[in-house]
Amino acid sequence: MARAATNSDVFNAIAEPQRRRILTLLRDGERAATEIAETLGLAPSGTSKHLRVLRDVGLVRVREEGRQRFYTLDAAGLREVHEWTGGFERFWQESFERLEAYVKELQRTEHDDADT
Amino acid sequence: MQTHEVVEREEDRQIVTTRVIDGPRRLVFEAWTEPRHLARWFGPHGFTITTHAFEFRPGGVWEFIMHGPDGTDYPNWIEWREIVPGERIVYWQGMRADDPDKWETTVTFADRDGGTEITLRSLFKTKAQRDHVVEHFGAEEGARQTLERLDRYVAELASARA
Repeated sequence: MARAATNSDVFNAIAEPQRRRILTLLRDGERAATEIAETLGLAPSGTSKHLRVLRDVGLVRVREEGRQRFYTLDAAGLREVHEWTGGFERFWQESFERLEAYVKELQRTEHDDADT
Repeated sequence: MQTHEVVEREEDRQIVTTRVIDGPRRLVFEAWTEPRHLARWFGPHGFTITTHAFEFRPGGVWEFIMHGPDGTDYPNWIEWREIVPGERIVYWQGMRADDPDKWETTVTFADRDGGTEITLRSLFKTKAQRDHVVEHFGAEEGARQTLERLDRYVAELASARA
Protein backbone atom coordinates (compact mmCIF):
# COMPACT_ATOMS: atom_id res chain seq x y z
CA MET A 1 0.00 0.00 0.00
CA ALA A 2 1.23 3.47 -0.84
CA ARG A 3 1.73 5.79 2.09
CA ALA A 4 -1.17 8.19 2.53
CA ALA A 5 -0.47 11.84 1.88
CA THR A 6 -0.19 14.07 4.94
CA ASN A 7 -3.01 16.29 3.77
CA SER A 8 -5.50 13.45 3.27
CA ASP A 9 -4.77 11.21 6.23
CA VAL A 10 -5.84 12.31 9.69
CA PHE A 11 -3.33 9.96 11.35
CA ASN A 12 -0.41 11.46 9.48
CA ALA A 13 -1.71 14.90 10.38
CA ILE A 14 -1.67 14.22 14.12
CA ALA A 15 1.64 12.37 14.01
CA GLU A 16 3.41 15.74 13.91
CA PRO A 17 4.04 17.09 17.47
CA GLN A 18 3.56 20.79 16.62
CA ARG A 19 0.20 20.01 15.05
CA ARG A 20 -0.85 18.17 18.19
CA ARG A 21 0.14 21.23 20.22
CA ILE A 22 -2.07 23.37 17.98
CA LEU A 23 -5.01 20.97 18.47
CA THR A 24 -4.50 21.00 22.22
CA LEU A 25 -4.47 24.79 22.24
CA LEU A 26 -7.68 24.91 20.20
CA ARG A 27 -9.45 22.77 22.81
CA ASP A 28 -9.95 25.95 24.76
CA GLY A 29 -11.73 27.65 21.87
CA GLU A 30 -11.22 29.66 18.73
CA ARG A 31 -7.83 31.27 18.12
CA ALA A 32 -6.46 33.58 15.44
CA ALA A 33 -3.57 32.16 13.40
CA THR A 34 -1.25 34.87 14.69
CA GLU A 35 -2.22 34.08 18.27
CA ILE A 36 -1.52 30.37 17.74
CA ALA A 37 1.95 31.14 16.39
CA GLU A 38 2.71 33.50 19.28
CA THR A 39 1.39 31.26 22.05
CA LEU A 40 3.30 28.22 20.80
CA GLY A 41 6.41 30.17 19.76
CA LEU A 42 6.20 29.01 16.16
CA ALA A 43 7.12 30.83 12.95
CA PRO A 44 4.00 32.30 11.25
CA SER A 45 4.78 30.55 7.94
CA GLY A 46 5.21 27.16 9.59
CA THR A 47 2.04 27.69 11.59
CA SER A 48 -0.02 28.38 8.48
CA LYS A 49 1.35 25.24 6.84
CA HIS A 50 0.35 23.18 9.86
CA LEU A 51 -3.08 24.79 9.95
CA ARG A 52 -3.59 24.04 6.27
CA VAL A 53 -2.84 20.34 6.87
CA LEU A 54 -5.20 20.25 9.85
CA ARG A 55 -7.88 21.92 7.77
CA ASP A 56 -7.39 19.56 4.80
CA VAL A 57 -8.00 16.50 6.96
CA GLY A 58 -11.02 18.07 8.66
CA LEU A 59 -9.55 18.57 12.12
CA VAL A 60 -10.01 22.34 12.20
CA ARG A 61 -12.36 24.85 10.64
CA VAL A 62 -11.41 28.35 9.53
CA ARG A 63 -13.32 31.61 9.68
CA GLU A 64 -12.12 34.82 8.06
CA GLU A 65 -12.74 38.18 9.61
CA GLY A 66 -11.09 41.16 8.01
CA ARG A 67 -7.49 40.17 7.43
CA GLN A 68 -7.52 37.69 10.29
CA ARG A 69 -8.09 33.94 10.10
CA PHE A 70 -9.65 32.24 13.10
CA TYR A 71 -9.39 28.51 13.72
CA THR A 72 -11.58 26.12 15.74
CA LEU A 73 -11.46 22.37 16.33
CA ASP A 74 -13.69 20.24 14.14
CA ALA A 75 -14.84 17.27 16.22
CA ALA A 76 -16.02 15.38 13.12
CA GLY A 77 -12.45 14.86 11.94
CA LEU A 78 -11.46 13.41 15.28
CA ARG A 79 -14.17 10.79 15.10
CA GLU A 80 -12.09 8.72 12.68
CA VAL A 81 -9.22 8.62 15.18
CA HIS A 82 -11.56 7.82 18.04
CA GLU A 83 -13.06 4.91 16.11
CA TRP A 84 -9.68 3.60 15.09
CA THR A 85 -8.76 3.14 18.72
CA GLY A 86 -11.83 0.94 19.15
CA GLY A 87 -11.83 -2.76 18.36
CA PHE A 88 -13.93 -2.86 15.21
CA GLU A 89 -11.78 -0.77 12.90
CA ARG A 90 -8.66 -2.50 14.11
CA PHE A 91 -10.31 -5.89 13.61
CA TRP A 92 -11.00 -5.14 9.97
CA GLN A 93 -7.80 -3.30 9.08
CA GLU A 94 -5.74 -6.17 10.47
CA SER A 95 -8.00 -8.75 8.82
CA PHE A 96 -7.54 -6.95 5.50
CA GLU A 97 -3.76 -7.00 5.95
CA ARG A 98 -3.88 -10.74 6.55
CA LEU A 99 -6.31 -11.20 3.65
CA GLU A 100 -3.92 -9.42 1.31
CA ALA A 101 -1.03 -11.65 2.37
CA TYR A 102 -3.20 -14.74 2.00
CA VAL A 103 -4.44 -13.76 -1.48
CA LYS A 104 -0.79 -13.36 -2.56
CA GLU A 105 -0.17 -16.88 -1.30
CA LEU A 106 -3.19 -18.21 -3.23
CA GLN A 107 -1.88 -16.46 -6.33
CA ARG A 108 1.56 -18.06 -5.96
CA THR A 109 0.00 -21.49 -5.48
CA GLU A 110 -2.06 -21.07 -8.65
CA HIS A 111 1.03 -19.95 -10.51
CA ASP A 112 3.02 -22.95 -9.30
CA ASP A 113 0.18 -25.30 -10.25
CA ALA A 114 0.06 -23.78 -13.73
CA ASP A 115 3.81 -24.39 -14.12
CA THR A 116 3.67 -28.08 -13.30
CA MET B 1 -53.06 4.10 21.48
CA GLN B 2 -50.35 4.72 18.98
CA THR B 3 -46.94 3.15 19.03
CA HIS B 4 -44.10 5.33 18.01
CA GLU B 5 -41.03 3.58 16.79
CA VAL B 6 -38.15 5.93 16.32
CA VAL B 7 -35.71 4.58 13.78
CA GLU B 8 -32.44 6.45 13.78
CA ARG B 9 -30.91 7.52 10.50
CA GLU B 10 -28.87 4.81 8.74
CA GLU B 11 -25.76 6.96 8.61
CA ASP B 12 -25.80 7.10 12.42
CA ARG B 13 -26.24 3.34 12.75
CA GLN B 14 -23.59 2.15 10.33
CA ILE B 15 -19.84 1.72 10.02
CA VAL B 16 -18.12 1.68 6.65
CA THR B 17 -14.59 0.37 6.21
CA THR B 18 -12.75 0.34 2.91
CA ARG B 19 -9.43 -1.04 1.76
CA VAL B 20 -7.72 -1.79 -1.55
CA ILE B 21 -6.24 -5.28 -1.54
CA ASP B 22 -3.34 -5.99 -3.87
CA GLY B 23 -4.78 -9.06 -5.59
CA PRO B 24 -7.39 -10.13 -8.17
CA ARG B 25 -11.07 -9.80 -7.28
CA ARG B 26 -11.69 -13.47 -8.01
CA LEU B 27 -9.25 -14.58 -5.28
CA VAL B 28 -10.24 -11.89 -2.77
CA PHE B 29 -13.79 -13.19 -3.06
CA GLU B 30 -12.71 -16.83 -2.92
CA ALA B 31 -11.00 -16.18 0.42
CA TRP B 32 -14.50 -15.75 1.93
CA THR B 33 -16.00 -18.95 0.59
CA GLU B 34 -14.39 -21.74 2.64
CA PRO B 35 -13.42 -22.16 6.30
CA ARG B 36 -9.87 -23.19 5.39
CA HIS B 37 -9.49 -19.80 3.67
CA LEU B 38 -11.25 -17.78 6.36
CA ALA B 39 -9.17 -19.36 9.12
CA ARG B 40 -6.07 -17.85 7.53
CA TRP B 41 -7.11 -14.20 7.64
CA PHE B 42 -10.43 -13.49 9.40
CA GLY B 43 -9.61 -11.54 12.57
CA PRO B 44 -6.75 -9.39 13.85
CA HIS B 45 -3.12 -10.55 14.08
CA GLY B 46 -2.69 -13.31 16.63
CA PHE B 47 -6.30 -14.53 16.53
CA THR B 48 -7.14 -18.09 15.50
CA ILE B 49 -10.44 -19.66 14.53
CA THR B 50 -12.16 -22.98 15.23
CA THR B 51 -15.07 -23.59 12.86
CA HIS B 52 -17.97 -25.71 14.11
CA ALA B 53 -20.35 -25.39 11.14
CA PHE B 54 -20.04 -23.89 7.69
CA GLU B 55 -22.29 -23.70 4.67
CA PHE B 56 -21.67 -21.00 2.08
CA ARG B 57 -25.13 -20.38 0.60
CA PRO B 58 -27.93 -17.90 1.35
CA GLY B 59 -29.45 -19.09 4.63
CA GLY B 60 -26.31 -21.13 5.44
CA VAL B 61 -24.47 -20.56 8.68
CA TRP B 62 -20.85 -20.20 9.79
CA GLU B 63 -20.45 -20.98 13.49
CA PHE B 64 -17.00 -20.48 14.91
CA ILE B 65 -14.97 -19.54 17.96
CA MET B 66 -12.35 -16.82 17.74
CA HIS B 67 -9.42 -17.37 20.09
CA GLY B 68 -7.65 -14.18 21.13
CA PRO B 69 -3.87 -14.13 21.70
CA ASP B 70 -4.51 -13.75 25.46
CA GLY B 71 -6.58 -16.99 25.48
CA THR B 72 -10.02 -15.37 25.50
CA ASP B 73 -12.64 -17.19 23.39
CA TYR B 74 -15.25 -15.23 21.45
CA PRO B 75 -18.23 -17.22 20.10
CA ASN B 76 -19.40 -16.05 16.68
CA TRP B 77 -22.31 -16.78 14.43
CA ILE B 78 -22.73 -15.62 10.83
CA GLU B 79 -25.64 -16.32 8.52
CA TRP B 80 -25.06 -15.61 4.83
CA ARG B 81 -28.04 -13.74 3.40
CA GLU B 82 -27.02 -12.95 -0.14
CA ILE B 83 -24.11 -14.15 -2.26
CA VAL B 84 -23.23 -12.69 -5.66
CA PRO B 85 -19.96 -14.40 -6.67
CA GLY B 86 -17.12 -11.93 -7.14
CA GLU B 87 -19.34 -8.98 -6.31
CA ARG B 88 -21.25 -8.97 -3.07
CA ILE B 89 -21.86 -10.82 0.17
CA VAL B 90 -24.53 -9.87 2.71
CA TYR B 91 -24.56 -11.54 6.11
CA TRP B 92 -25.92 -11.29 9.62
CA GLN B 93 -23.47 -11.52 12.49
CA GLY B 94 -23.89 -12.05 16.19
CA MET B 95 -22.66 -14.19 19.04
CA ARG B 96 -25.25 -16.90 18.38
CA ALA B 97 -28.32 -17.63 16.23
CA ASP B 98 -30.82 -16.00 18.60
CA ASP B 99 -28.62 -12.96 19.32
CA PRO B 100 -31.07 -10.02 19.45
CA ASP B 101 -28.20 -7.65 18.64
CA LYS B 102 -27.11 -9.31 15.40
CA TRP B 103 -26.20 -6.82 12.71
CA GLU B 104 -26.14 -6.86 8.92
CA THR B 105 -22.94 -6.48 6.93
CA THR B 106 -22.66 -5.93 3.19
CA VAL B 107 -19.29 -6.64 1.62
CA THR B 108 -18.69 -5.41 -1.92
CA PHE B 109 -15.78 -6.20 -4.21
CA ALA B 110 -14.69 -3.92 -7.07
CA ASP B 111 -11.68 -3.68 -9.39
CA ARG B 112 -9.49 -0.75 -8.39
CA ASP B 113 -6.00 0.27 -9.58
CA GLY B 114 -5.14 -3.28 -10.61
CA GLY B 115 -6.26 -4.59 -7.23
CA THR B 116 -9.55 -5.12 -5.44
CA GLU B 117 -11.40 -2.55 -3.43
CA ILE B 118 -13.28 -4.18 -0.62
CA THR B 119 -15.98 -2.16 1.15
CA LEU B 120 -17.55 -3.40 4.32
CA ARG B 121 -20.71 -1.71 5.55
CA SER B 122 -22.19 -2.84 8.84
CA LEU B 123 -25.67 -1.64 9.76
CA PHE B 124 -26.82 -1.86 13.37
CA LYS B 125 -30.28 -1.57 14.91
CA THR B 126 -29.43 1.47 16.98
CA LYS B 127 -26.70 4.08 17.22
CA ALA B 128 -25.96 2.94 20.78
CA GLN B 129 -25.32 -0.61 19.58
CA ARG B 130 -23.14 0.67 16.78
CA ASP B 131 -21.06 2.73 19.19
CA HIS B 132 -20.68 -0.23 21.53
CA VAL B 133 -19.47 -2.55 18.76
CA VAL B 134 -17.10 0.09 17.38
CA GLU B 135 -15.43 0.25 20.75
CA HIS B 136 -15.48 -3.34 21.96
CA PHE B 137 -15.63 -5.72 18.99
CA GLY B 138 -12.51 -7.88 18.85
CA ALA B 139 -10.82 -5.49 21.25
CA GLU B 140 -8.64 -7.32 23.71
CA GLU B 141 -7.93 -5.94 27.13
CA GLY B 142 -4.21 -5.55 26.48
CA ALA B 143 -4.59 -3.79 23.18
CA ARG B 144 -7.31 -1.61 24.60
CA GLN B 145 -5.10 -0.45 27.42
CA THR B 146 -2.32 0.40 25.01
CA LEU B 147 -4.66 2.59 23.05
CA GLU B 148 -6.48 4.00 26.01
CA ARG B 149 -4.29 7.06 26.45
CA LEU B 150 -4.58 8.08 22.80
CA ASP B 151 -8.29 7.45 22.92
CA ARG B 152 -8.70 9.58 26.01
CA TYR B 153 -6.74 12.40 24.42
CA VAL B 154 -8.85 12.25 21.28
CA ALA B 155 -12.13 11.99 23.19
CA GLU B 156 -11.14 15.07 25.20
CA LEU B 157 -10.40 16.97 22.03
CA ALA B 158 -13.69 15.90 20.50
CA SER B 159 -15.80 16.71 23.55
CA ALA B 160 -14.19 20.12 23.86
CA ARG B 161 -15.83 21.10 20.61
CA ALA B 162 -18.91 18.87 20.47
